[in-house]
Amino acid sequence: MRDEPRVVITGLGMVSPLGIGWREAWEAALAGHSAAGPITRFDTSGHACRIACEVRDFVAEDFVDKRSVRRMDRVSQFAVAAARMALEDADLVIEGDGARAGTAISTGNGSSESFEEHHLSLLERGPERASPLMVPVTIVSMSAGHVSMQLGLRGPSSCVVTACASGNHGIGDAAAVIRRGVADVMVAGGTEAGVTAYCMASLDATRALSRRNDAPETASRPFDVGRDGFVSAEGAGIVVLESLEHARERGARIICELSGYGASSDAYHLTDPDPSGRWQVAAMNMALERAGREPHEVDYVNAHGTSTPAGDPVEIGAIRQLVGDERARDVMVSSTKSMHGHGMGAAGGFEAVLTALAVREGRVPPTINVDELDEACGGVDHVLGEAREARVDLALSNSFGFGGHNAVLAFSSVEDA
Amino acid sequence: MSDNGRVRVVMTGIGVVCPLGIGREEMWRSVVEGRSGAGLITLFDASDWAVRIACEAHGFEPTDFMHRRAARRMDRYAQLAVAAARLALADSGLVIDHDGAGIGAIIGNGGSGAISREEQHRVMIERGPDRVSPLTIPLSVANMGAGQVSIELGLRGPVTAVCTACAAGTDAIGNAVEIIRRGDARAMLAGGGDTLITPFFVAGFDAMRVLSHRNDDPAGAARPFDQDRDGFLVGEAGAVVVLERMEDARARGAHIICEVAGYGASADGHHITDPDPTGAAQARAVKMALDDAGLAPADVDHVNAHGGASQPGDRAEVKMLQAVLGEDVAARVAVSATKSMHGHCMGATGALEAAITGLAIKESILPPTINLHTVDPECVGVDHVANQARPADIRVALSASYGLGGHNAVLALTRTENGAG
Repeated sequence: MRDEPRVVITGLGMVSPLGIGWREAWEAALAGHSAAGPITRFDTSGHACRIACEVRDFVAEDFVDKRSVRRMDRVSQFAVAAARMALEDADLVIEGDGARAGTAISTGNGSSESFEEHHLSLLERGPERASPLMVPVTIVSMSAGHVSMQLGLRGPSSCVVTACASGNHGIGDAAAVIRRGVADVMVAGGTEAGVTAYCMASLDATRALSRRNDAPETASRPFDVGRDGFVSAEGAGIVVLESLEHARERGARIICELSGYGASSDAYHLTDPDPSGRWQVAAMNMALERAGREPHEVDYVNAHGTSTPAGDPVEIGAIRQLVGDERARDVMVSSTKSMHGHGMGAAGGFEAVLTALAVREGRVPPTINVDELDEACGGVDHVLGEAREARVDLALSNSFGFGGHNAVLAFSSVEDA
Repeated sequence: MSDNGRVRVVMTGIGVVCPLGIGREEMWRSVVEGRSGAGLITLFDASDWAVRIACEAHGFEPTDFMHRRAARRMDRYAQLAVAAARLALADSGLVIDHDGAGIGAIIGNGGSGAISREEQHRVMIERGPDRVSPLTIPLSVANMGAGQVSIELGLRGPVTAVCTACAAGTDAIGNAVEIIRRGDARAMLAGGGDTLITPFFVAGFDAMRVLSHRNDDPAGAARPFDQDRDGFLVGEAGAVVVLERMEDARARGAHIICEVAGYGASADGHHITDPDPTGAAQARAVKMALDDAGLAPADVDHVNAHGGASQPGDRAEVKMLQAVLGEDVAARVAVSATKSMHGHCMGATGALEAAITGLAIKESILPPTINLHTVDPECVGVDHVANQARPADIRVALSASYGLGGHNAVLALTRTENGAG
């Protein structure tokens, strides 16, 4: 085996419905706030789902020069803003040619708004009026490209797409890039800006969205008997990963270790999870093995928990299979999607930021809106309603995507951090 | 295991559905004969468009490779990926055991389900948001090529889509090699499925002035490194290779095509569409691939170039090769741009080119750059394999892809000697 470097998280960046900057988002999560509301990004008349978790008061020019802003879809603006904040939070200056610092920015759908605008224009005005920006603005990889350009990161640059698991795969693959020694630093996470007419209509057509239009704040209710689907969210969650050695050499503040990554596939159905949950278990097991830890050591699981009728009980069942029924009763579980909504490609990014903070701060953010716990989701220690103070030495963050992609990250406390 | 204790990864199967044919043999015959896969666009009505030519995967019948019901739930890009994956698996002789644990897939793309996305967006505009098909998301999202491959073949190891524009197919193979090396899977199906022959992408690329306008001469339109080049042809393909541990491949008596010995990746961090004219980051990716393989620049025999047939891009690529390999080495390195034959198959192109490069090593034949009649004086300095395939002893070859947004990816492929390693 190669002598592989350990990977730590040293910076957090967040543009989320719960707030811009990780401090604001973290405070809101600890307070159990919901970020859901009526959609303001487009005219929802004719839409069955009219609620979402939007990012409010985002001013792209606070993070990117005006000229570059115009060449970026909202999805890339979020990514650049969150990446910039994460680097600042890490107090890391990219020096020289940036060859040892890379990017891994995932997304589920990419540039939704720009696609719709350019495509409408194409249909109405014909190909000869097409803009030279229409391809570069809309392709899914461009958020990674913009982050690398804006921040001078010239190491490996990737865009991994696995629907709702994209952010976790991106972060896990980025850690592997550091482990194989070709980068010291990776700026990694997920971004999404899919609160647009077409994206929302397409999601609603799959029947995955909550239609509680009259009560947006209680619409996302993972594990509750009354759940009826997820609430879509936008934003970006990005972390700075470094080799432990690099972080120590520069005297960086270490938030926690990203100690493991596991990936597997259900190979079962386009949109439904394998009800046995066994491939989710396989991904969690792989993450723990890579971290050199045992299932019974897990203190907290930041669940995928999207608030869909089919998905939530499968995941709880998988956690119980992983650690055993007896131990499961003491494993803290929460789904922060109850507060920030389902960020799709950004979900893994949001949740990595919150899980890293849970490990560092010893505070577990809650699942809100659980009025009556679904029995099928029982058997674990649900952290409901309000945050809980508790030591978290080892946490998992789960993401499971349409198409059967499972990705799990393991976060551990660092003793002398 | 090699001397340094690292797992070695080999290519044991190739599956392609591309403008040069369906299946490894038909494709390779076309390459050796120097055929062009170009023609008039048939996938949409482009009869009054400024660009009316492309490289389509003619004769592709999805139902030859999957059930009708499954095919209806896939965009053409995913159908291409699934067909290529099935062909690759059959070519390798690898058997997926009952639960498929330990075998995964990385299927890259650049445009994902562009055909379905445009169709359903039109439905929404014309008929309202409640008329959008429930299959819109599963048809159009970028991960579903990978997802469908895993579902159709029963692969339950790591499954992702790497979407780095024109470099996606190469990055997919490089990442899959890494997954096998680090022990997260014992075999991977890696490559790409992409079809960007849609109104949105043809209009968008043409607006960027990167497409050839030789509508009257489709077969002569893609001419990388030629003085009279005027851009690329949009292509489409499914291209997947089977990768596995060398020791496993040997143990099961597999036919090894080549070793995937090195992978390098970097970012220009320069401009959204134009490559960094200094070529510094591309050169780093080449160097990283060679270092990863434990090779020196002087070891390189052959390069399957990105060769996008843009005026500045082709020049910069040759200059970069001269810089990174040294002028003397570069002068004897055989360079081919097979995009001259199969077009620019976007997120699948890197995988198709890696497959061709693997076969070049195995068959000891250099594929040609066709339509190369007058080498651009700014592109001289390497040994261009112009117009005709050529026999050659190839031990080390590079397959390089440089994508929009500054993604650079390079694979180092090497010949495996019988009994060695």
